[in-house]
Amino acid sequence: MKFKAPVILMILMATIMTAFVASPSSSAGEPWSASQLLSPADLAKTLNNQKIPHPVIYSIGPQAVIKESIDIGSTRDKANLEKLKNNVAKLPKEANIVIYCGCCPFGNCPNIRPAFELLNKMGFKNHKLLNLTQNIKVDWIDKDYPVNY
Amino acid sequence: MKTGLYFSLIFFCLNVITLKAQVTGLEIGNKSPEIVLKNQKGDSVALSSLKGKLVLIDFWATWCSPCLEEQPKLAKLYKKYNQKEFTCGTGFEIFGVSLDSRQSSWEEVIAREKITWIQVSDLKFWKSPVAKTYSIKALPYNVLIDRDGIILMKNLHGDELEKALAGFVVK
Repeated sequence: MKFKAPVILMILMATIMTAFVASPSSSAGEPWSASQLLSPADLAKTLNNQKIPHPVIYSIGPQAVIKESIDIGSTRDKANLEKLKNNVAKLPKEANIVIYCGCCPFGNCPNIRPAFELLNKMGFKNHKLLNLTQNIKVDWIDKDYPVNY
Repeated sequence: MKTGLYFSLIFFCLNVITLKAQVTGLEIGNKSPEIVLKNQKGDSVALSSLKGKLVLIDFWATWCSPCLEEQPKLAKLYKKYNQKEFTCGTGFEIFGVSLDSRQSSWEEVIAREKITWIQVSDLKFWKSPVAKTYSIKALPYNVLIDRDGIILMKNLHGDELEKALAGFVVK
């Protein structure tokens, strides 16, 4: 009976650690930090509130599904990466920028890393990656969040 | 008397089997929902036009990396099994359904990958009614159907898909 509390504590710690390791949105070794991941629910909430400023949103994947987002195209293509570069060049470095792809889970996505690295390199301070852990269908469209069509 | 009872029982069982096969749905044993979409040239192609063959309905898109990686593997399977005789169909066909939104990307990849099997799309991305009909949540996704359009297997890739095809070849 004595060791019950430590055992429970260990199980709890193991569970928490597993959750962090297995998390699809883990930021270890990525060009973004955990705090630069924006939850879809938070962006949807912002877009649904017309009284607060909205970020500049760029689609860097298959289609500009999210309301107000600007279609850049897949940034695995250099031409589209250049398009993103030209588009953000006019923004102040403090601008709130959100990029998203949503083609597939982050591990398979060829678009998010080149785009985020570009924004890092250009010296932006408030750029975020939308945390679409599965894809744009499951994490945005199916949740009835605001869309462009 | 007994013989009559046996015949009635067999007749009932056959009816149940036939009835199950006629149900249109997404479960194994159901009849696959019809798909009629346009190919790259703008001509309508119906899934049902492939009746008689073993068919893989391949849901993919050019924006989906794992789908692109899978295309050369499908090409190998297509070449190997296209003319084979199967226990559930004569010849193997692939019915590629793309969830693309840009005609140019779609055509470019078909040409680059030298895809020779049927390709259709409504270019409606995730808004495509076919994605809803087949309850697709992520790509790639596929459905293997027999000569009558009955679903045999779902979402098989790589070695698993090849094993499944090999298993249906008439020895």
